[in-house]
Amino acid sequence: MNPATPGRLAVNRLRERLPVDPAALDRFVARHGSPIVEGERATFLFRGDADEVRVRHRVVGLPDPLEMRRLPGTDLWAATTDLPHGSRVEYQLETRRGEDYERFNDPLNPRIAHSPLGSSSVCAAVGYEVPDWALPDPEARPGELVDDVLHSKALRREQPVRLYLPARYSTALRYPLLIVHDGTDYLDYASMKTVLDNLIHRLDVAPLVAAFVPPRDRLKEYPNHAPHARFVARELLPTLSERLPLLETPQGRCLMGSSFGGIASLSTAVRYPGLFGSLLLQSASLVFTDIGLDHGGGPAFDPVVKFVNRYRAKPTAPVERLFMSCGTYEPLITPNRSMVPVFRSTGMTVKYVEARDGHNWEDWRDRLRDGLSWIFPGPQKLVYE
Amino acid sequence: MRTVLLGPQRFMTTAGTALRSLGVAGPVATINAGWEEREDVVDELDQVLGGDTRHLRLYHRTLDVLEKDAAFAAGALALRDRHEELLSLYRLRLQHALEGVYTLQRRLGGAAAAAARLEAGGDAGPPAYGALDDAIEGVRHVDAWYAAQLKSLYAGFDEESPVESSGVIGWHRGELGALLDGCAALAVAGGNVGTLLRALRLFAIRVPDALPVVAWSAGAMAMTERVVLFHDFAPDGASEAEVFDRGLGRVPGVVALPHARRRLRLDDADRCAVMARRFTDQHCLLLDDGTAIEIRPDGGLPSGARILGIDGAVHELRRAAS
Repeated sequence: MNPATPGRLAVNRLRERLPVDPAALDRFVARHGSPIVEGERATFLFRGDADEVRVRHRVVGLPDPLEMRRLPGTDLWAATTDLPHGSRVEYQLETRRGEDYERFNDPLNPRIAHSPLGSSSVCAAVGYEVPDWALPDPEARPGELVDDVLHSKALRREQPVRLYLPARYSTALRYPLLIVHDGTDYLDYASMKTVLDNLIHRLDVAPLVAAFVPPRDRLKEYPNHAPHARFVARELLPTLSERLPLLETPQGRCLMGSSFGGIASLSTAVRYPGLFGSLLLQSASLVFTDIGLDHGGGPAFDPVVKFVNRYRAKPTAPVERLFMSCGTYEPLITPNRSMVPVFRSTGMTVKYVEARDGHNWEDWRDRLRDGLSWIFPGPQKLVYE
Repeated sequence: MRTVLLGPQRFMTTAGTALRSLGVAGPVATINAGWEEREDVVDELDQVLGGDTRHLRLYHRTLDVLEKDAAFAAGALALRDRHEELLSLYRLRLQHALEGVYTLQRRLGGAAAAAARLEAGGDAGPPAYGALDDAIEGVRHVDAWYAAQLKSLYAGFDEESPVESSGVIGWHRGELGALLDGCAALAVAGGNVGTLLRALRLFAIRVPDALPVVAWSAGAMAMTERVVLFHDFAPDGASEAEVFDRGLGRVPGVVALPHARRRLRLDDADRCAVMARRFTDQHCLLLDDGTAIEIRPDGGLPSGARILGIDGAVHELRRAAS
């Protein structure tokens, strides 16, 4: 991938030189890789024989699939699209050979993002950089992850919980508590331990205890599920408060989650108003309908829509402060934007942040500093070296 | 009484020069509790101050007290919780009070327009200008409310956890008094100003008038009457300057602003104007890299000191100010 370069696109310059021999194509691909990012344009490349080649992505506003075209007389396929400054897009390529379809990561692009559903290639625009606080910092003192298991009557099972204790953890102090839905995924795919270590080290975020809680049956437990809420509010929180030196006020407690985990956080707070001081919702699945129930999200979204519709009809303020983030390229951007004034109308203090990214774990990782430093600000204001 | 306030020492070390300018002979006591667990990493500090130092180690002494005096530790923890709770209420009130000020200020066309109207004799709309004054007075009222509540928190704490009955605190206080008595000057370093102030308070550090002091960053803040926290470039965006606690009061009439260039939006005249007018009974003194301000014998600032003006601009004092 190349930095911004003015003038004609590299692929168009190549087109003008056609026909070229395969060695020239090899050199072109080796030199540019894929995608070729030039200013606010990205050109995706693929080499090989196929009947059709497409770029598959989930960017709202761009055609999906994005058809690639073969350069005449070559086995090189290309498609060019807009890519605004600071964007980050996850994608795969799809080929059709007869009736045979195949999807795979871009073989010409070494940049890969991972998620519980697999991996994708990453196209980063000019202006996007992985935040340095998301990368391991040898100077940051590491916190500790401790595995625990709680017996949950509400969920009727043993519920694993992974606790994060900050560096220099001391029972003589009091810590805020962050309860993280999809906890294992946040650790595995959003580098959340590294992020916490770094943000605490940099004084951006207060030293805190985090409880990373994985679901078992996510689609059942996360959209407004009474046993899940009871587990969080009546079992997990009291147990942690008893075992750990935690702040005792609601302001010292935050529930967070992304996608359905955002709904789990919000619905738990709504069921137990005043217990938590803040919520951190990332790309929450705040799907609703204004009339009827044809939401287009499939059966999994039925309980979500029911919950959000009911909340919209009678909005409440279950917490004082609400941080929301959403990617502008994901389908959930419209519902998230629509909910900001609804939440604000209840008197909650709402901070809402958007990014040119999609519904993915690296987007959620990149927004963690915005959210955590707002909810649990570190002692930076106290330190004057 | 001789006191020198310095800017940050990280990139431009001037503490040694300042100390030498005071012409002191004898050991230098140091307070660097703001460095917290790095309090004992003093090689560089020793070198800068000439080597003959007596480190008071207030942070480690605080830990010792917390470990040995369980009753005091419990009280201190409760006080900290109450202080946090008070701060969160104060921040809420402050934010809303300042939002009102900024809204009025925008209506009036900003600090520059206000200054122009003042120069023109105020005939461009005195009633509206009075509204801004009154709104800023409202912010001062919130500051004063917080300070009064904090004072009462401390009074309650002193009543519940009398330090006089703590043998370990008494022992440390005695030792510290003796240490200070034997020193020719005191150097107070920066770091976490909250930790520093708590340690100064716990050990009832009173700096004798006759003892020359060199203090920088958080140390300089601790020398003033009113410690004001500020950071316009925090990751969650600009946060409002807030009164935090009382300092030792050795330098009256000054709000110390270390790292002003790095931490304040000095190019936002409206915001700076509000800050200067909010603390209008004091000078908002900028302490940037290389700054060295020797407080005058009458407690005033010398000429050359850089302060925030009520027009939101940075001004250099042409004449000494008391």
